[in-house]
Amino acid sequence: MIFHPLILALIVASGLTSFLVLYASVFGAQILGRWDLRSGSEAQLGLERKTYLISTLLAFVFTFELLSLFLFIFTADRLHTFFVGAMCAAGTLHVNAFGYPALLLKAINFVLAGTWLILNAADIRGYDYPLTKKKYAYLLALAPLILAETALQTAFFLKMKPDITTSCCGSLFGASGGSVAADLASLPVAPMKAVFGLSLLLTLASGFYFLLKGRGGSLFAALSGVNLIVSLLAILSFISIYFYELPSHHCPFCILQKEYGFLGYPIYLAVLGGGICGLGVGVLNPFRKVTSLAAVMPSLQRKLALAAVISLLVFAALVIHRLAVSNLNLP
Amino acid sequence: MLIELRDVRKVFHQGKPNEFVAVQGVNLWIEACRATVIKGPSGSGKTTLLSLVGCMTRPTSGRIEILGREVSSLPERFLTGVRRETFGFIFQHFNLVKGITALENVMLPAYPSGENHAALKRRALDLLDHFAVAAKAQSKVEKLSGGEAQRVTIARALINDPFVIVADEPTAHLDTRLAQEFMETMARLKEQRKTILIASHDPIVCDSPIVDRVVLIRDGRVEGEAR
Repeated sequence: MIFHPLILALIVASGLTSFLVLYASVFGAQILGRWDLRSGSEAQLGLERKTYLISTLLAFVFTFELLSLFLFIFTADRLHTFFVGAMCAAGTLHVNAFGYPALLLKAINFVLAGTWLILNAADIRGYDYPLTKKKYAYLLALAPLILAETALQTAFFLKMKPDITTSCCGSLFGASGGSVAADLASLPVAPMKAVFGLSLLLTLASGFYFLLKGRGGSLFAALSGVNLIVSLLAILSFISIYFYELPSHHCPFCILQKEYGFLGYPIYLAVLGGGICGLGVGVLNPFRKVTSLAAVMPSLQRKLALAAVISLLVFAALVIHRLAVSNLNLP
Repeated sequence: MLIELRDVRKVFHQGKPNEFVAVQGVNLWIEACRATVIKGPSGSGKTTLLSLVGCMTRPTSGRIEILGREVSSLPERFLTGVRRETFGFIFQHFNLVKGITALENVMLPAYPSGENHAALKRRALDLLDHFAVAAKAQSKVEKLSGGEAQRVTIARALINDPFVIVADEPTAHLDTRLAQEFMETMARLKEQRKTILIASHDPIVCDSPIVDRVVLIRDGRVEGEAR
């Protein structure tokens, strides 16, 4: 099983990611301990030179971290044919105790790595390393999660046994599943629709307000964060059933399959990408008045807000289209 | 004060058997609108010092300020702008790009600024005309004589209208007449309130009446001033 190309790619890449994050964290600890821009010492100049290289490496590493979430889900989906009972990624992730924790951690790290990239993008636009200490402090907090993700993902792949009979998504996300996922999937449709609609509208409205007035960034970021969670719950609760045209089938993974035009990928990309960009506006908001960033920050925040709004509109369009063309009619 | 160097040190191949300390403990102030010559024997660190001042290399330790702004810590993406806007470089071997014309060589340093091409071409032709080499504008630089190449180099150094002209051994390959002509050009630029910084040990340069200050350097250290 481990010799599957996708598994090898994920294990090797996450190993490299962990190694580079660990190396960068050691350097980050030096930055936090010794950084003094007023000093012209050899050590300080060495740190200044090195931080640019390390930041560039980390930017590539975390970009891969974003992609690896989708590669992980794709891999889980492709592997379902190896397990009796599995119909999609949901079954594969259930073959041992590490699958879902690995996925959850990858999703959390997706958001955290994305916001780190935004912080880094702002920092390298300032001539005096305005956010360098902050981004390395953030990295030190993020590093254990990245290492834990690598450990969980590796354990998940290594402990896969092809002779295992696993559960299918219908039972995992069905009303009788008896798990947290099943409980979330059985959230009542009508109130969930209202909450989702309200969350999406408020987030979009605050996004447009920020784009027009340049104010309300923190509110937009907070709403984006809430909307990210609500949107994921909405997919589980009612959006999925319109795709499958089955009121009892809530699987969040089947929509990633060819049968449904791989529409799950743009949907999750729009939800997660929009969430990160929206959150990024808030992450950068406290630094608007930093002298070396004052000229570039409004433009950077606007680009993020625009990306977030476009992502949410794409997501809304995909969902509304599906709700409109689906043959499922709920009372 | 235009440029200030504080305790600047530059080591090449640090930590390796061929480690070489090119500049050490240099404290130097370059005043605006004046002509300063860095004088010293070959291998004394003149070129390294000019490279440090011109933001072409970074110090191993110490700080450099230009117009009150600390530049030795700047990331490369900012340093290119500082270099382009502040300095015009004249190199010992001219460093003109072969295979393209004199005009294109002059225009080259201004391309990143995104200036309108026609306007840039007009300015470049004006500069070539100013230095009496307009007739050679369309000539490939390898066809130019030493004096013509020198004047094209000066025109190129001025295309971005820099505050400072940095010249490294500019007369090393010129005969006496051309060397004197070069210093006359520097005198005119000084009158236009440009700051001139030259590394040289040529008496024609060091003894020129346009030079306000001669800084003596040996073994990478500033030894004093001759004027």
